[in-house]
Amino acid sequence: MARMDLISFKGLRLDGRRANELRQIRCKMGVFSQPDGSAYLEQGNTKVLAAVYGPHEIRGSRSKALHDKALVNCQYSMATFSTGERKRRPRGDRKSQEMSMHLRQAFQAAIRVEVYPRSQIDIFVEVLQADGGNYCACVNAATLALVDAGIPMTEYVVACTASLANGDVPLVDVSNLEENSGGPNLTVAALPLSGQVALMEMSQRFHLDHLPKVVECALQGCRDIHQILDQAVRRHTEMSGSALGWGNRAQVDL
Amino acid sequence: MDRTATLTKKETSGHESQLGLDTKADRLTDHVKTGVVSQAKGSAYIEQSNTKVVCSVFDPREIPRKSGYSVNGELYCEFKFAPFSCIQWRSHQPDAFEKECSLILRRSLEPAVCRHEFPNFQVDVYALVLENDGSALAAAITCAALALADASVPMYDLVVAATLGVHGDKKFMDPTVEEESLCNILPPDGRSRNHGIITAAFSPAHQQMSEFAQSGAMDIDCATSSIQLLREACESIYLLSQQCLLKGVTKMLKKKQKEIKLDLSSDRIAC
Amino acid sequence: MAEILLSEAEKTFILHGVEEGFRCDGRMRLDYRPMEVETDVVSHASGSARLRLANTDILVGVKTEIDTPYPERPREGKIEFFVDCSANATPAFEGRGGEELGTEISNSLATAYQSSQTFDLTALCILPGQQCWKLYIDILILECGGNLFDAVSLAVKAALHNTRVPKVKGACLDGGTVDLQLSDDPYDCCRLDVSDAPCLVTLCKIGDHCVVDPTAEEETCSSGSVVIAITEKSLVTSVFKTGVGSFHPQTLIDILKVGQTIGLSVNKALRAALLEEEQQGRKKECFGFLK
Repeated sequence: MARMDLISFKGLRLDGRRANELRQIRCKMGVFSQPDGSAYLEQGNTKVLAAVYGPHEIRGSRSKALHDKALVNCQYSMATFSTGERKRRPRGDRKSQEMSMHLRQAFQAAIRVEVYPRSQIDIFVEVLQADGGNYCACVNAATLALVDAGIPMTEYVVACTASLANGDVPLVDVSNLEENSGGPNLTVAALPLSGQVALMEMSQRFHLDHLPKVVECALQGCRDIHQILDQAVRRHTEMSGSALGWGNRAQVDL
Repeated sequence: MDRTATLTKKETSGHESQLGLDTKADRLTDHVKTGVVSQAKGSAYIEQSNTKVVCSVFDPREIPRKSGYSVNGELYCEFKFAPFSCIQWRSHQPDAFEKECSLILRRSLEPAVCRHEFPNFQVDVYALVLENDGSALAAAITCAALALADASVPMYDLVVAATLGVHGDKKFMDPTVEEESLCNILPPDGRSRNHGIITAAFSPAHQQMSEFAQSGAMDIDCATSSIQLLREACESIYLLSQQCLLKGVTKMLKKKQKEIKLDLSSDRIAC
Repeated sequence: MAEILLSEAEKTFILHGVEEGFRCDGRMRLDYRPMEVETDVVSHASGSARLRLANTDILVGVKTEIDTPYPERPREGKIEFFVDCSANATPAFEGRGGEELGTEISNSLATAYQSSQTFDLTALCILPGQQCWKLYIDILILECGGNLFDAVSLAVKAALHNTRVPKVKGACLDGGTVDLQLSDDPYDCCRLDVSDAPCLVTLCKIGDHCVVDPTAEEETCSSGSVVIAITEKSLVTSVFKTGVGSFHPQTLIDILKVGQTIGLSVNKALRAALLEEEQQGRKKECFGFLK
């Protein structure tokens, strides 16, 4: 592919966004009834479903149980039709296993695992449509599903990507087209209120001097997404709350 | 396409002489025998004209990789064509068709086995087709039921199976390989467009159908009328299966008696 | 199929209910639960559909690829079913846990679509003996609320109805290699004829009676089910049994007859729903999972 400019001289990206603009995020909590918590999240054209089961007894061999905290078990899988080229296997390949591991690392930092010793929390994410930033969409969807399941967390885990265009302009929320054009790609999963970073991963290279700028750009993205997710959670709680007859604000709205 | 078209023509004209239903009770089941594999707990061998199937059943063993308690025992069935059994060489790895046959085999046997008698255990059933000349799955089901009985696995009844091929107005009981491939092809225009293969497993003592697997495309009347035909065919095999088991048991009893006699005589000598 | 634990009393309740002709959710024995179908939900696929049958949630994506036809059937395209049981449905499907159920469903679909009277594979041929389209029908099971076979087959039919295969403008054989010219316009494509595609109908035997569209709870009470694949022209393309029970031949005949009438009405209903959706055209609001 011919090298495209990631950002035009007018400051617009390939899909017409500004450098610091996120893709549209739409989400819904409680899409399924069988899991303890579930959520659906669209970030641009990336569409992800997350389901949370637990906390429950350890499944399989008891030896996996941790005596002082809960075991967080994650599985990342992609629908075979989610990518442009058909995928042979939905899960089990190295990329998916790595993603599952990264999910676990991020959520172990935020879930209050010490509340549920000797038990297990399952987080399953399914990518229905992949268009860049799959990991971020999965983390954000899983956070909503965990909230839906009522599992205590210190705060939301929110993830966002950032890239660097033309050697000095940081870009937030990288799309698939921008990922493929070969620029650097930094993924951050953060706890935005306390400003902590739960996971950071980077591919390609740029000069060390640019790192603070790009990280800040990703963290700002995380803070923005956090607001959107928080609003969604509040809306969902108001809706389900008014159905149960408590809280009067939502009833007035309706 | 051209090749299949000529085949259709030839085959249909070949069968034109045989009127209507081709029930070949005489073709059926030339040979049944139990206790053919000495290493297995129970085994059986069946020959239906050129289709030859051998089946062995092994001692119950604990269900592998199972943490919970299961009230009913489990049957593990494997259906396999020997590499040399068909016109084309077959791989050692089970393909999709063999996997499906394994599933049908398990579905047919499960209702007849008293699975509550061996909770938390699994009985392995392996059926190997030595030569495939059509209706291999039905032969394997009959054979597997005999092997289970030979292995003294508690059962409500034997299971016997038969295959029916449908092509236009013609029906073939226990079709050969050529007839099977003919039944997979759409009949030429003008007559009934029914075609397909039905395999049914039946337990005559309780009049229960434990499996009815159909493929192809046919109208509902054809499917329902086939049930009766298959049932009759199964009943005729049932007698043979019973006789075979009886033979096995009497043989064993005679052997036992002989041993007792020998024991007694040796005791006398000792005295 | 999340683990469903029912006490003996609950099972008896369901059993007695079915005997009287009432089911726990207020249906009669031969009623379906409400169904929602939406096509064109995945943009990366050539055709897609999402079907929700009460708690059962199925997403189907159809992808097309160019392949060489089988040497014994040079004028036919290829079709392949793949069922992925997502762990979202139940933790038991994690890793390779759902594989067995997945193969069972994909095999049953392959059998139902085997006859040339159900789905015309010759329409997928590009150059006889050289190139054809291969349809990958990928089925994703997102939630199991019972009656998977029916839901999957309906979703597959809807997705095939929605599938658009790119139009081939020209194909010629240049030496040993095939030269294909695909149309540049993404809207210039062929539809597939699905009028003869079969629907699977599960008839679940509970006590002495049969019910259609069993819930997961009813499935645990049943001794066995018969699944019938039936086309709009009332052709039976596949019959098989699931579960551990067995049937009297007369029961089987009765079940087949009931299955035929049910199958016809389900086929008709799906066709009407798809037509209605199509008439909305581009104005159609796309809900996806946000509803």
